[in-house]
Amino acid sequence: MTVPFVQPFADEGLGDSLLNRAEEMELNFGPQHPSTHGVLRLKLKVDGERIIDCYPIIGYLHRGTEKLFELHPFFQNVPHTDRMDYVAAATNNLAYVGAVEKLMGLVVPPRARYIRVLLCELQRISSHLLWLATHAIDIGAMTPFFYTFRERELILDLFEEYCGARLTLNCMRPGGMPHDLPVGWVEKCRVFVDGFLPRIDEYEGLLTENRIWKKRTVGVGVLDPQTAIDYGITGPMLRGSGINWDMRKAMPYEAYSEVEFDVPLGKNGDTYDRYLVRMEEMRQANRILRQCLDQLPEGPIMAKRPRVMKAVKDGEVYHGIEGPKGEIGFYIVGDGTPNPYRCHVRPPSFINLQSVPELCKGALIADLVAIIGTTDIVLGEVDR
Amino acid sequence: MSTLKKFADKIMLLDLFAGLGITFKNMFKKKVTVQYPEERWEPAHRFRGMFRLDEDRCIKCTICARDCPIDIIYIDWHQEVNPETQKKEKLLDRFDIDVQRCMFCGLCEEGCPTEPKSIWLTTKTYELASYDRWQNLYVDMDELQEWKTRPAYTDEEIA
Amino acid sequence: MTGLLESVRHALGDTLFYWAFSPVIKIVLLLFVGILPLISYLTFAERKVLGYMQARLGPNRVGPWGLLQPIADVMKLLVKEDTLPTQAVKWAFILAPCLVVGPALIIFSVIPIGPREGQLGHVNWFITDVNTGLLFIVALATVGVYGLIIGGWASNNKFSLMGGLRSAAQMISYEVPQGLALVGPLMLAGTLSLVGIVEAQRDQKIWYIIPQIVGFFIYLVAGVAESNRNPFDLPEAESELVAGFHTEYSGMRFALFFLGEYANMIVISAVATTLFLGGWLPPFPHLLPSLSVIPGPIWFALKAFMFLFAYIWFRGTFPRYRFDQLMDLGWKWMIPLALLNIFVTGLIKLWVSGGFH
Repeated sequence: MTVPFVQPFADEGLGDSLLNRAEEMELNFGPQHPSTHGVLRLKLKVDGERIIDCYPIIGYLHRGTEKLFELHPFFQNVPHTDRMDYVAAATNNLAYVGAVEKLMGLVVPPRARYIRVLLCELQRISSHLLWLATHAIDIGAMTPFFYTFRERELILDLFEEYCGARLTLNCMRPGGMPHDLPVGWVEKCRVFVDGFLPRIDEYEGLLTENRIWKKRTVGVGVLDPQTAIDYGITGPMLRGSGINWDMRKAMPYEAYSEVEFDVPLGKNGDTYDRYLVRMEEMRQANRILRQCLDQLPEGPIMAKRPRVMKAVKDGEVYHGIEGPKGEIGFYIVGDGTPNPYRCHVRPPSFINLQSVPELCKGALIADLVAIIGTTDIVLGEVDR
Repeated sequence: MSTLKKFADKIMLLDLFAGLGITFKNMFKKKVTVQYPEERWEPAHRFRGMFRLDEDRCIKCTICARDCPIDIIYIDWHQEVNPETQKKEKLLDRFDIDVQRCMFCGLCEEGCPTEPKSIWLTTKTYELASYDRWQNLYVDMDELQEWKTRPAYTDEEIA
Repeated sequence: MTGLLESVRHALGDTLFYWAFSPVIKIVLLLFVGILPLISYLTFAERKVLGYMQARLGPNRVGPWGLLQPIADVMKLLVKEDTLPTQAVKWAFILAPCLVVGPALIIFSVIPIGPREGQLGHVNWFITDVNTGLLFIVALATVGVYGLIIGGWASNNKFSLMGGLRSAAQMISYEVPQGLALVGPLMLAGTLSLVGIVEAQRDQKIWYIIPQIVGFFIYLVAGVAESNRNPFDLPEAESELVAGFHTEYSGMRFALFFLGEYANMIVISAVATTLFLGGWLPPFPHLLPSLSVIPGPIWFALKAFMFLFAYIWFRGTFPRYRFDQLMDLGWKWMIPLALLNIFVTGLIKLWVSGGFH
């Protein structure tokens, strides 16, 4: 079945004559652009500086990940999941591994669950730090970039000591964890956790009360709650509009039901509120880390699992977790062989990106940059 | 009172001065730059760098080739009778790895059943760049065995 | 060498010699020994200071502590290919950088680095003392805007044109508050000549920043906007859509634009020092007379460097204003504030001189 090709802006009824659209210019916010966070192409229709319409064109980073999942057994697909949202690899791993465990009916030992929560919260902090860096530098403030990367280095060092890689972690397996924590890791993590809160205050001191920052972000990209729910948006974008939906509280997984934390909410749904929500999420992640480090149980880290993991024939499962950008989920269908039959990803950035054309109608091009920044997209996830 | 304070804040630009103060204080803090190549940053113990093979320990089970998510390990072996011990044993013909595609995930190392492992990735090497297109792309058996942990970049390596 | 000078002096006559040659020598010294190296090292200082503020070291590979970096940059720009877009208007394309750099460098001829002759050596520490120095400066600063417009238009690139027009609109709208802010010290000193203003600060024993704090703030903000620097650098920001008027320029032409921007920075710092901070005067001449041992030019340099550091500091700290917010700030806040400043200064001056009876 062929998909009909829809000409963008085809429903205008104006025809192609440039005279009819004398004031409007079609602009390519191209795939190569410093502030599109990857290879995102936005076809803009602008009138002077105001955006009339926006048509995102994606697919420049498509690598056929979902097809690659079908070619190898379940445990070999974990490195592929790293590379989707390459900024937050641990949460990708966890979503996939959780889905496989649900499919196979494996029970993860408590120590492994706590270690997974540790890694995911560290990854959440790291992803939000990178978001802050790129968002700030798009709006013009250069220094938060360097400060946040200084902290991110500490987190990446922790990851490296645990699982051997800094960015593409490959740190989880269906059933538990492949390695246990090395000697001294808990102390190093504690040092990081204790020293991190003043740093957040530093970033906030540079940006939160700054009148220029406020002028650039307050009232920009206002997403009202009903639109957010209609689009299926999750994550800080949804919570910035005031809706209290966090997968960690709504459908707890791993060890989240055993730690205490708050879910920050925004009021107006504009860029400033989403910025505040993410900053507060970093603080709450720090709180979760501290509790996990205190409550870490002893025990095995890998469940008893069959040597060759065969899925149930026609067994299907969906498992979604709260990633830093939203709800990341895996829908896996098994067919009795060690390989999955179909493995579909619910990428949060792809679904959050749907809101960009609506948010930027009537905004200036400078605001478009802020809106793309606040949507926090990673093209690896959008295109898979 | 708080409205007066907010008004004074706005007039006196205190928020801007707070930001200026933070950058000024950071000027005098210690810098975190690692001056490569004079100082080389040492990776952690479990760092997955370039891999290395030890042919003697290898039992030619090809689990590593099977476990690789992108199928880049090519192993050929055959059985021969060793004239000394009169026992059949496996000999390795070809053990090539396509480094262009390797993502250093470590699944081959995890799958290896020997103790200590015959293929391992913790050589702490991350300097794999070369000036020649045909170096370091396809690594065969002999190179894999001789791959040492490379020292920091020196001038001799250019030639 | 001296024989040649002697013969020229003999030919021209004494007065003509000193009238013509001394400024020429000063111009050459100022430009080639003073300003152009200063501009190049200002780029280096910016990278270094910005780096230190951002928890990293700036360039430190070329030469000890990276001190030869500007020379490496200049050499790189000199040997780069000089592109000329085929559809571009050639004469305008070549003229635009000169229109940006020229006025910035010419303004230096009226700025006094030190006192008149007789007070510190036998030489006037300025190239010339024009009676209407302040007007001259404002006029030349406006000519610089032409360079941007012509550069943007001559590139035959609609994004350059948009960027150039935006930049020009920004500069023109901040020329007004800048000019109005300059009226404050003018009223207090009673003369348009820059040397006269510094001498008035010396005679009245007060630096004009104290009575004119509002004017000083307005001049500083307008100055940052004039030189297209953060937080007002939207026209040339890389993360925005329009890449700016200097997209199509490469090599030495681009270097001239770049030099023009930094020369503008130095000019605004120098003028702010002269008008508001007492130019070459030492602080507290009566409380700390020992400070007068340090000659005037050194004080001038220190004060100007303070402003340049403030420029770099602003770049490292603040986000960018959006273009409409920028124009909003200029027209709705700066100009009324500047007019209010003039009004109040006039009232106070009238009251002090006993005009109200």
